[in-house]
Amino acid sequence: MKKSSVWLLALMMAFVVVLSACSSNESADKGSGDANTAGQEKKNVKLSILAWNNETEMKPVLDGFTAKYPHITFDFQFAPPVKDYIAKLQTMLLTDTATDIFIIAAENRNEVIDGGHALDLTDYPFMEVMLDSNKPMLSKDGRTYAFTNNGWVGGWFYNKKLFEEAGIEEMPETWDEFVAICLQLKEAGITPLYDNMQDLTQIHSALYGNMTLSQDPEFDNKIFAGEKTFAEGWTDVFELWKKDMIDTKILTPDMIGLTGDQIESEFTLGNVAMFFGGPWSIAKLTETPDLDFGMIPVPGPNPGENYYVGAPGVGFAVNSKSSHQEEALLFLEYLSTQEGLDLFYEGTGLIMTAKDYEAKVHPSMQQAYQEGLMEGRIYLPMVTWPRHQEALRNQFVISTQDMAVGKITPEEAAAAIDKKFNEMENK
Amino acid sequence: MAKFLRHVQYELFLLPILIVYSLFTIYPLIRSFVLSLTNFNGYSLDYDFVGFRNYIQLFSDDAIVSGISFTLLFALGTTFLITVLAIPLALLLDRPFLTKNLHRAIFFFPSIPSGLLLAFIWGFILSPVQSGVLNSILHDTLHIGPFPWLSDPVLAKLSTILVATWAATGWHAILYLAFLQSIPKDYYEAASIDGANRWQITRHITLPLLAPAMTVSVMLLLTGGLKVFEVPFALTNGGPGFETHSITQVIVLRGITETQFGFASAMSVVFFLIVMTIAVIQVTVMQKREERIQ
Repeated sequence: MKKSSVWLLALMMAFVVVLSACSSNESADKGSGDANTAGQEKKNVKLSILAWNNETEMKPVLDGFTAKYPHITFDFQFAPPVKDYIAKLQTMLLTDTATDIFIIAAENRNEVIDGGHALDLTDYPFMEVMLDSNKPMLSKDGRTYAFTNNGWVGGWFYNKKLFEEAGIEEMPETWDEFVAICLQLKEAGITPLYDNMQDLTQIHSALYGNMTLSQDPEFDNKIFAGEKTFAEGWTDVFELWKKDMIDTKILTPDMIGLTGDQIESEFTLGNVAMFFGGPWSIAKLTETPDLDFGMIPVPGPNPGENYYVGAPGVGFAVNSKSSHQEEALLFLEYLSTQEGLDLFYEGTGLIMTAKDYEAKVHPSMQQAYQEGLMEGRIYLPMVTWPRHQEALRNQFVISTQDMAVGKITPEEAAAAIDKKFNEMENK
Repeated sequence: MAKFLRHVQYELFLLPILIVYSLFTIYPLIRSFVLSLTNFNGYSLDYDFVGFRNYIQLFSDDAIVSGISFTLLFALGTTFLITVLAIPLALLLDRPFLTKNLHRAIFFFPSIPSGLLLAFIWGFILSPVQSGVLNSILHDTLHIGPFPWLSDPVLAKLSTILVATWAATGWHAILYLAFLQSIPKDYYEAASIDGANRWQITRHITLPLLAPAMTVSVMLLLTGGLKVFEVPFALTNGGPGFETHSITQVIVLRGITETQFGFASAMSVVFFLIVMTIAVIQVTVMQKREERIQ
């Protein structure tokens, strides 16, 4: 090595050593500063979170928390709902690499709770803020394992201009009136609605609420207790849907190939009069210039017994194996405060349902919020079903699509769900 | 002794790859087989040994029967179409013309992005509504449609196969091109001197000497086709119903979504054996064909 190179190397090494010394002093000063302000020494902690709200949505509340507790920073991880999120969390839990905080949804609550992965939060004071109606989805045997401060309710967004063009003045109060306005739109050359049938459809859920649950609110529990079958509760729903939606060609099989984004875009472009949505659609709809829209429920055949589709929001749980449980609980507590609720709403735009908190709801969703969410007239099968939610949901999707393409009858569709249920019970 | 030591020395070089291969391929395979004999749900490590129950239930599952039929159709369909298109394309790209490199790049390009991404893009092109790209073109030019490209059972299968063919033809053409360029020029010169025309040269020299390339290409296409996941998943989500569910999608569905990991592991083991058997038969048959031709 040349002499000049040796000197250069020595100089660089000295520079690096000086820099690292400065950096150590700086962090040491910062740490002691925090400790002094808190009156006691607080260790810097990096709290890991896995959520299906993305980082932009979570940023206000994470920033607010960090401002209040400067010694806690976040390692934020995101996975899109539902399948991707569940798969990622499952892998993490199995390999003991799960984050300190993660969310529990209706689709994976049983597995997470049964596996002992979530801390029992029932007796923590911040749980008082959570609505009692939000607790069952995140509970087992009377103990609650996650905290949620929001809920959602959905219905059919409709384009007021297209309704006017078709001469529709009265909003439908019953199922027959709903079918009639769809046909009226169709006659006016307007596509009445898009439903891609890629999930357990909202029409089915709302009809089931109106036709079955309003007669017997315990029907789902009876199915899972072996006293009733899916066929007994769902065949009439499927038959009505097939007769009034498929046979009339209001819903057509080609809609199966649509994605949720495409449907939303088609609505904003004025190519379809209605689509099913919820609070998550508001941002895109309000950004569209000149789009005048409202929301109507999916009415059922029995007047006055309508159900909305909706559920409690997913809940934040604390990893039972986390070494930062104290800090994780602090974050959940923060989510329950007025400040935390405001910031969570600011980022996510979700409907906040915490006790004594006045939720802000878009005017188009006011009716759904009041009649559905606040009065508990919301239904989402995956929330009520105590077991096999994903397997049954998948079978519903398959059966719905098979009915739409004319491959099976409503009776066969309902029977296929019972078959799947029995298969899962005996696995 | 010296000869033995020399051999050991060579074997030592293989040790790292053997360790990596065992860790990431052999061990998971063995582990899958062990899990296939249990009722492991993917969340709790507290599971029971159920013997061969998962294997017995395997073929009574509608999704698997449908998955096998679509996967075989996809694998055979794409293998046939890509082979039929890639060889003439390779012959064309082998010709000396000014923009040959540009053309090679253009045809190779679709194989670069992931299948998932390509399928999402094709999802917009094949969107079933009137405003979908293809339907809108067909309507404006020929006044036909709209066609349910992704929701009709037959069209959905066809669309999936065609998108996969579009994505992979260029890659396989380049594979054939590489083999084409290794054929000695002497054969062509001799054939020209003997008065053979272009078709005779292609028929009796080029195609027989491409046999090794075909063995490799067909094996890759068949095994890749049998393992397909991204294209049908992103394009049709497996629908309508189970119509375009591939075997791998059914394994993911039963294992991850429905938390039947033991059952899904049994499916994986059987699937592995099926793919291995088909690949071994295909390679053996085609190698014999190569020997016969050469």
